[in-house]
Amino acid sequence: MKKLTALILGAAALALAASPASAELKKKYKVATEGAYAPFNWVDPDGSLKGFDVDIANELCARIEVECEIVAQDWDGIIPGLLERKYDMIVASMSITEERKKKVDFTQKYQDTPARLIAKKGSGIDPENNETMKGKTIGVQVATIHEKFARKKWGDVAEIKVYDTVDNHNLDLANGRLDMVMADSTALDFGFLKTDLGKDFEFVGPGYDDPEIHGEGAGIALRKGEDELREALNNAIQEIRKDGTYQKIQSKYFDYDVYGSET
Amino acid sequence: MIDLHGYGWQMLLGLSVTVQAALCSIVLAVLLGLLAAAAKLSRWRALRAIAEAYTVSIRGVPEYVLLLLVFFGTSRVLQTIARQFGYDEYIEIPPFFAGVFAIGVVYGAFTTEVFRGAILAVPKGQIEAAKAVGMPSFLLWRRILMPQVIRYAVPGLGNVWLVLLKATALMSVVNLDELTRKAAISAGYTKEPFTFYMVAAALYLCLTIGSNLGLEALERRSSRGVRRA
Repeated sequence: MKKLTALILGAAALALAASPASAELKKKYKVATEGAYAPFNWVDPDGSLKGFDVDIANELCARIEVECEIVAQDWDGIIPGLLERKYDMIVASMSITEERKKKVDFTQKYQDTPARLIAKKGSGIDPENNETMKGKTIGVQVATIHEKFARKKWGDVAEIKVYDTVDNHNLDLANGRLDMVMADSTALDFGFLKTDLGKDFEFVGPGYDDPEIHGEGAGIALRKGEDELREALNNAIQEIRKDGTYQKIQSKYFDYDVYGSET
Repeated sequence: MIDLHGYGWQMLLGLSVTVQAALCSIVLAVLLGLLAAAAKLSRWRALRAIAEAYTVSIRGVPEYVLLLLVFFGTSRVLQTIARQFGYDEYIEIPPFFAGVFAIGVVYGAFTTEVFRGAILAVPKGQIEAAKAVGMPSFLLWRRILMPQVIRYAVPGLGNVWLVLLKATALMSVVNLDELTRKAAISAGYTKEPFTFYMVAAALYLCLTIGSNLGLEALERRSSRGVRRA
C-alpha cells in the first residue's frame, strides 16, 4: 500500500516539476551481501548477517554517517538486484573486474586474497602439471572470477562444474563428487579447511592472481554515477586502514592481513 | 538429541512461515475454486469460457514457472510502467505475496474441479423440488446445495491441501524464508545437509499427519446425519 501511495506521489511530483538529481548522500542505504560465504558473510543462528564483509560495511557506513540496512541476496541475482535498485551497495567480497565494471562502479578494494585450489590430502594433483589434471572435476561458484579462471586454465583438460554457492561445492567435494574446488583462499581456509568437514583436504598449487581475470581485489559495487557515495566510501576505507580499525576487524576472523598489497 | 548448532529456532521460524503461506494459499485457492466452479456451471457462455481457460491454462503450467513469472517478471513490468510515470524507485513484489498468489492460483484451478464435481453430485431432483416450493435461490444455495457440496468436496479439498502444503517449499526460490530455505541456509553454514533436510522433512511430515487428523474430523462433521453403508 505504501508503495502504491509512493507511486502516486511520485507521479504527482513529476507532474509538478522534474526535480534535479540530488548530489548529496542519502540518509539511508541498503547494503546487500550474500550470506553464504563464511567467514566473509554468513547467516547466524539468530537470523542476522555476520562476517568480515558485514563488519566492514557497518564500519564504513558509520564513518560516512549514513544509516545502513544489510540484506541477504543470493549471488546469482546480486548485480541485477543492485541495478533494479533493490539495494544501493554490494559488500560481498566481490572482485573488481573489467567485465563487472561495464555494469557497475566499484570503490577501491577493501580486501584482496589470492584464488587457490583444494583437493583431498595426498591426491598427487599438481595444478601446474596438466597430466595430473586430466579428467578431473573442478567445482566453482557460478559467475565468479574462479569460474572464468578455471575455464581458461584447465577448461581443455578437466571438467568444470558450476554451483550456486561455495558451501554447495564444498559439500560436493567432501562427498567425493568433485576432485577439486577453486575459490578465494581465505574463504576456503576458514570456511572449509579449518572445519570438521574439510579436515582431509589441503591446498594444492600456488595462489593465482591473473590481473586480467582476478582484477584488483574485492571492492564495494555501486550503481554507475553514484560518485559522491563512491568517493565517501573510498576515503572511509583509507581512513579505517590508517587508524587501525580495519586491522581490529579482521583480527576477529583471520590471522593474517587480507588487504593484500598496499596501493 | 540432534545438534542443530543453534539453528533450531530458525527452523521453527521457517515452519511458521510455511504454515502461514499454506493457509493463505488454501484460502485463495478455495475462493477462486468456488468462483470458477460457479462460472463453469453458469448459464452464460462467456463466464464458462473464462473459467475453462483458467483451469486449462493454469493446470498446464508448472507452479514453479508461474512463481518465477510472478516474482521476477511482474516486478520488472511494474517498474517499467512506473518509470513511464516518472516514479524511479525500486518496486518489489514481496516474496510472501508472490508465493501465495502463484500457489493459490494454481491450486485454485484444482479446487475448481473439486467443487464442480461436488456441485454436480447433488441430485438434480432436490434442486427442482426446492424451486417447486418457491425457495429463493440464495436459500436454495444455503440450505440445499452448500451442506451437500461441502460434504462431497471435503475429501478432494483435503487432497489439494496436502499437495499444496508441500508445494510451498517452492517459495524458497524467491527468497521467502520458509522451512526449506531455512534448512538450506542452516545446512550451508553448518555443513550438515543431512541433519537439516531430515529435520525439515520431519517437520513437513508432522504438518501432514496433523492435517490428516484434522481432515478426518472435518469429514466426520460434514457427513453427520448421513447413514453409513
